[in-house]
Amino acid sequence: MVTGQTTVLAVDVPFPPSVEDFYLPSIVPWGEHGVWFTKITLLLWLSVAILIIFFLVAYRKPKLVPDKKQWLAESIYGFVRNNIAVDMIGKEGVKFAPYLASLFCFIFVMNLWGIIPFAQISPNSHIAFPMILAVISWVMFIYLGFSRHGIKYIKMALVPPAPWFILPILVPIEFFSNFIVRPFSLAVRLFANMFAGHMLLLVFTLGGFAMINANALLAPISLLSWLMTIALTFLDFAIIALQAYVFTVLTASYIQGSLAEGH
Amino acid sequence: MAGQQPPENPPEDDSPPPPNLNGGYVAISYLIGGMVVWGGIGWLVDRWLGTEGIALAIGVVVGGAAGVYLIARRLGA
Repeated sequence: MVTGQTTVLAVDVPFPPSVEDFYLPSIVPWGEHGVWFTKITLLLWLSVAILIIFFLVAYRKPKLVPDKKQWLAESIYGFVRNNIAVDMIGKEGVKFAPYLASLFCFIFVMNLWGIIPFAQISPNSHIAFPMILAVISWVMFIYLGFSRHGIKYIKMALVPPAPWFILPILVPIEFFSNFIVRPFSLAVRLFANMFAGHMLLLVFTLGGFAMINANALLAPISLLSWLMTIALTFLDFAIIALQAYVFTVLTASYIQGSLAEGH
Repeated sequence: MAGQQPPENPPEDDSPPPPNLNGGYVAISYLIGGMVVWGGIGWLVDRWLGTEGIALAIGVVVGGAAGVYLIARRLGA
């Protein structure tokens, strides 16, 4: 009987978590098996809406002495503009500050859903979202390189300062590292961090239930597991902010590389 | 707002400049890239000639060395 009960409870709390846990069901009453509107879709549109509304409201009546909302919005934009765009790219960086600030805020809010109660999953834990963001950065730095240097950009990006006889060895590496690894690593870094964060929280939460269901004596360890979940939520918050920052800084640094004068 | 110019002097508040994140990632991508690109070419040569991995081994070593050389040229003093 005990075994039977365990099985029933184990069905309630699937453990260990798997990749299937990232594929959420449709949340509209129609199209039960469809994937056109899931929690991920909802969180994506919510992120966009929150950002648009927040910045519109914060700047609706800008004052010389800002209120809290305006202060927050100005701090975020000022941080990205002065500490990322201008510091990385230089004077020209101001032109890119709006894009970089939007990018930073968007990634941050999208990541933040991973630790918001009831949302509890970041859309960025599906690689499609980081991939599109990485493709935008990729197209942007290549476009900027060609528009700034013309056809010489190819030489600038691919030919390192080296004697001619080792260039045939070096040029393929430069190509691979500048045009293939860059977008790939941007996308995978963000995706993997969000995926792993969600997975960790799932393991510790569901693991607690799995243990308490397996044996009541394990209850203290279950409690420990749930305390770990809380601690890991704080760690996840640090990672969420850090990954948004890293993505933005690297995009800025690729732009800087494309705009820079030849080596 | 976007057209507003940044302050002439760098801000002297508690904001540190962004760390040179790119340097580390560039180094890693050159090192891995060198081994992957030339290892891959070596692997293709192996398949073409029917050898059992000698070209792959040479490719990985040459690619790794070239990666180190590139790191030294691009990031070194």
